[in-house]
Amino acid sequence: MPTPRRALTVLSATMMTAVLAACGGQTAAVNPDGDVTLTFTAYGGAGQEAMINAYQKPYTAAHPNVTFTNTSPPDLAQVKAQVMSKNVTWDVVALAPAAAEQNCGTLFEELDFSGVDKTNLVEGTVGKCYIANWINANPIAYRTSAYPATAAPKTPADFFDLQKFPGKRGLLTNVQNGLLEYALLADGVAPDAMYPLDVDRALKKLDTIKSVTTFAPNVGALQQAVGANQVDVFVLPDSRLVPLLDAGTDLTICWDTTVTALNGFGVPKGSPKAEAARRFLETLVTTDDVEAISEALGTAPINKAAKPELSDNAKKVEVYGPVNTGKTVQQDVGWYASNFDAVTTKVNNWLVG
Amino acid sequence: MADPPQRRIPSPQWLLVLPALALLAVILLVPLGRSLTYSVDAPAWTLDHYTALFTDGVTLTVLARTALTATIVTIVAVLLGYPYAYLMTRVGPRLRGLLMVIVLVPFWTSVMARNFAWIIILQRGGPVNSFFKLFGWDLVLYESVAGVTIAMSQVLLPFMVLPLFSALSGIDRRLLLAARGLGSHPITAFWKIYWPLSRGGVVAGLILVFTLSLGFYVTPALVGSPQQSLVAQLLGQRTTQLLDFPGASALGILVLVVSLALVSWANRFGGTISAIGVAASTPTNAPTKDRP
Repeated sequence: MPTPRRALTVLSATMMTAVLAACGGQTAAVNPDGDVTLTFTAYGGAGQEAMINAYQKPYTAAHPNVTFTNTSPPDLAQVKAQVMSKNVTWDVVALAPAAAEQNCGTLFEELDFSGVDKTNLVEGTVGKCYIANWINANPIAYRTSAYPATAAPKTPADFFDLQKFPGKRGLLTNVQNGLLEYALLADGVAPDAMYPLDVDRALKKLDTIKSVTTFAPNVGALQQAVGANQVDVFVLPDSRLVPLLDAGTDLTICWDTTVTALNGFGVPKGSPKAEAARRFLETLVTTDDVEAISEALGTAPINKAAKPELSDNAKKVEVYGPVNTGKTVQQDVGWYASNFDAVTTKVNNWLVG
Repeated sequence: MADPPQRRIPSPQWLLVLPALALLAVILLVPLGRSLTYSVDAPAWTLDHYTALFTDGVTLTVLARTALTATIVTIVAVLLGYPYAYLMTRVGPRLRGLLMVIVLVPFWTSVMARNFAWIIILQRGGPVNSFFKLFGWDLVLYESVAGVTIAMSQVLLPFMVLPLFSALSGIDRRLLLAARGLGSHPITAFWKIYWPLSRGGVVAGLILVFTLSLGFYVTPALVGSPQQSLVAQLLGQRTTQLLDFPGASALGILVLVVSLALVSWANRFGGTISAIGVAASTPTNAPTKDRP
């Protein structure tokens, strides 16, 4: 008859086994030519819906052995936790290219994209640990009803001018949406002299609007705040402006100087399906995929040969189209790649202090 | 050892707590131990993550803000909760049932629903904003510490009212009659007789509300703003945005130690009722009703 002590021993042994099994060891690599289900992690909502239609469905049609499961959001801490516990369940993760470059080989797999034809691709599309799928424009925009046409903000400097243009500001806390660049532009830094970024100067400028700004943790939250009239003037990526315009929100975009950034995908280090994921990612820069995603979300094409047929609302945010009468500043992936973690820490500490 | 060895483990009763212990071990002790090792061991043994908390210029600000918010919430809760709990002891059973339901309804409502309701009430264009606009004051409490304090006070009020009600309903009101009969003023009778007897319940409520406020995440995250983060938001940010697991672990351990210290300190003022013991105890420091 088992004594309680022996029962406890048995129980602990069982638990230990379960815990060890859950932590797992390195899983054997999955044959990319066999049946593979890739876990695809992106920003959720309409954006991910568009990715399913533009990227995944055509890929599965062409490669019936590859299917997808979708999840969101693409939390870097999740990636780190999965890599540290050697239990990687995400295979494809949407991210800022700089985040992949700075953590290349530690959190993200090095990917061999030497087979990709780069002739028509925008510079920086292919990195060591990522491939970019689109260019996001992050223009300053305002709710048209918030300002009279004669006294509406037009420039980054106006965005920071609380006297002339009062009202609630909306910004994203992510550095990849132009938070620091707009502050420096408003402070008088020339668009072509932006990098290396003077982060302290940018934060000092941001201090002047901190108390009247909604800092949204993700694009969905800011999109919602705009739709619910909670902010008046804001910086939001094109892929979120189009759904707002489609929903009938009256917005005016300030084409003075616009910060653009690449969005990309990486593969968490240790994914057993890394090779299948890499093959899939290669197709994201083909003209078909690029046209489909631009038509759905209004993002600028990463492949110059792509000729998307844009909707009227997508044309309103077309950063490389005739509507943009101003300049653009493209975020420097190289600079961010060596500073992404430090800048993110600094901005976050500034924010909560 | 006086007892024979086989009697050292009272086996059947002991087995009953085994599932609970196993669950606690898996969901509490393992992660907590992991946090502890993270906080001192990354990659070599170090206390740097703890010293960083005091020198980064951010953590102390946020901790102070959290302590202030928690203090205000606790004071608001006791000021609202004490008269409410007192009233519950003075009315008939039907009205008492109704008052109890009013306290418990927030408990039964999803915490998300309550917080989103507060966002709608406090946001720009919401009822509170519209009301103050009538007087020319464009007050928006959404995304402010004031708004968070109001919402947290409502969410946490049951944790004050329930232990208070349990303590106050155990107080023998004939003691007050006796005091009056001996010539005491009603206010003096309250302060000298009723208040000391209710103190255990007050301390229990204070500890519960204060410690819950210290670690509150959902309400500050939804109703508040990152600029005015409380400590739980800081923890969330360090883990999800900064990937600083050692730093976040150190902060978590610090908050845990502060909470435990506060609980054990405040416990000394609570007599036999305390946050830990309130559920099990009838107030033994209060006279029982059947005393002659």
